[in-house]
Amino acid sequence: MSGALKTRGGVLVLLLGLVLVALPFVAQAYGSTYAITLATRVVIYAMVAVSLDLILGYGGMVSFGHAAYFGLGGYVVAILSFHLAEDVPIFGFAGTNEALVSLPLAMLVSGLAALVFGALSLRTSGIYFIMITLAFAQMLFYIFVALKYYGGDDGLSMPRRNLLAGTRLTDPASFYFLCLGLLGAVLGLMRAIVGSRFGMVLTGAKANERRMAALGYPVTRYRLVAFVIAGMIAGLAGGLWANLGRFVSPDMMAWMKSGEFMLMVILGGVSSLAGPVVGAAAFLLIESTISGLTQHWQAIFGPIVILIALYAPRGLWGAATGGRGS
Amino acid sequence: MTALVLTGLAKSFGALRVTDGLDLTVEDGEVHAIIGPNGAGKTTLIGQITGEIVPDAGRISLFGADITGWSVPQRARAGLARCFQISQLCAGFTAEDNVALAVQAGQGHSFRFLRPARTDGRLRIPARAALERVGLAARADTPLEDLAHGEKRQLEIAVALAMQPRLLLLDEPMAGMGPEESAALVALLASLKGSLPMVLIEHDMDAVFSLADRISVLVSGRIIRTGTGEEVRGDPNVREAYLGDEVPHA
Repeated sequence: MSGALKTRGGVLVLLLGLVLVALPFVAQAYGSTYAITLATRVVIYAMVAVSLDLILGYGGMVSFGHAAYFGLGGYVVAILSFHLAEDVPIFGFAGTNEALVSLPLAMLVSGLAALVFGALSLRTSGIYFIMITLAFAQMLFYIFVALKYYGGDDGLSMPRRNLLAGTRLTDPASFYFLCLGLLGAVLGLMRAIVGSRFGMVLTGAKANERRMAALGYPVTRYRLVAFVIAGMIAGLAGGLWANLGRFVSPDMMAWMKSGEFMLMVILGGVSSLAGPVVGAAAFLLIESTISGLTQHWQAIFGPIVILIALYAPRGLWGAATGGRGS
Repeated sequence: MTALVLTGLAKSFGALRVTDGLDLTVEDGEVHAIIGPNGAGKTTLIGQITGEIVPDAGRISLFGADITGWSVPQRARAGLARCFQISQLCAGFTAEDNVALAVQAGQGHSFRFLRPARTDGRLRIPARAALERVGLAARADTPLEDLAHGEKRQLEIAVALAMQPRLLLLDEPMAGMGPEESAALVALLASLKGSLPMVLIEHDMDAVFSLADRISVLVSGRIIRTGTGEEVRGDPNVREAYLGDEVPHA
């Protein structure tokens, strides 16, 4: 990659970052909390898309069930809050409203699910891998639909948002900055992972699995670890999502949601760090714009996606930078 | 000590016995060529040695260890390096990246998530050295896609050497190369001779007779003769089964 392209990508990243940081101040000046809420949704979805890109883009694992870990993380946070509010202990634990407890637990539970589902799914490859990851996600979906205690089909509301070290996360701008800061941390972690020895093995296995095996790498083990990391980050995002709307439902882990996450990654550009962020922003902005025009907004959205796929095969970020992304 | 011993190796695909009670011993330090007509079972044999194909019967031992049930990565970590007949390298990576992956494989597990690998001297310096050894140092930063066919063959060998193997398995390294490239590769392999045992599967008879200490002739899934170039050339069974006009008259 030449220096000029890197600079161009760097300038765009800087601009994107500035917009994201300045956004709540501008929105507050205009007295619009809607814009902050929309931006928070973008940031949370971006986190999921970035995590999905680790396995889909860098790892070459087309998981069609990534929403499962997002939804699971959301349910962990909502269920802990529910038990505290109802004063009914869960596994001898009173429940909690403290984000410093419930968010790590959300990551842990999502990571464990990813470990089990990933270990089984990674025994297959290609179309079978896509189908089995989808099947596991749908299985979780139906389990939560059937869990009437936690609202079943109707979902589960949280009476209030979590506390962060004792401070309520009610203020929209503060909550937005928490999410943005976590997205920044996730992006920093991804950047390190992709360039590390682990990242070399992960991307090498995508490029040529047979070669990597002949070099002595037990490829599946590395893929599984990436799958678990991605699941944990999606779980964290799910926990934030539960706080944002104070509501979770099985729709969070439905196959439609998994498809949306894939779309965000592909729309923005696979195998790049900024791509999924741009993709998530583009997805939500297009959706919120045209869904105001007509109920059948997907009929407009579909052709837009096809046009982007045709004219920007490396995604919006790939088209904007002209290089291999950053 | 022997490097590689195959005992009673057998593999059938349906009714076809591709490997049929094969015995072979590769001594430490020797270049052992395996030749045979098309369909003799060379590719299946290679697959069984590397672990990609599971034999129906028989034993494979590498420096005294029974590796018959081992996976491909396990065998690689035990010191078995392979050059593929059709280059198997990582696209999107530079020549040096490809070698660095081999160096990295020899430095313990790669569950290291934070330190940048592309600027890690522990990977890049040995990688550069291996590229120099095969004469590819000038192309270190070239992406795999931009390398010529012959350069990819050289890179395959650099990758194998970077694994610091105890046994090198060369699956038709001359395939698809021009006479000049072939000669350069023969010279490179000759320079490695003695430093480690090699199994050479090759159709290019000039290369085989100039490099090999011993030659085994594989016909219909069995070794029908093992010996020096002279012995093999002089064996009437070998001439009948395979060599025919291809024998270079020394």
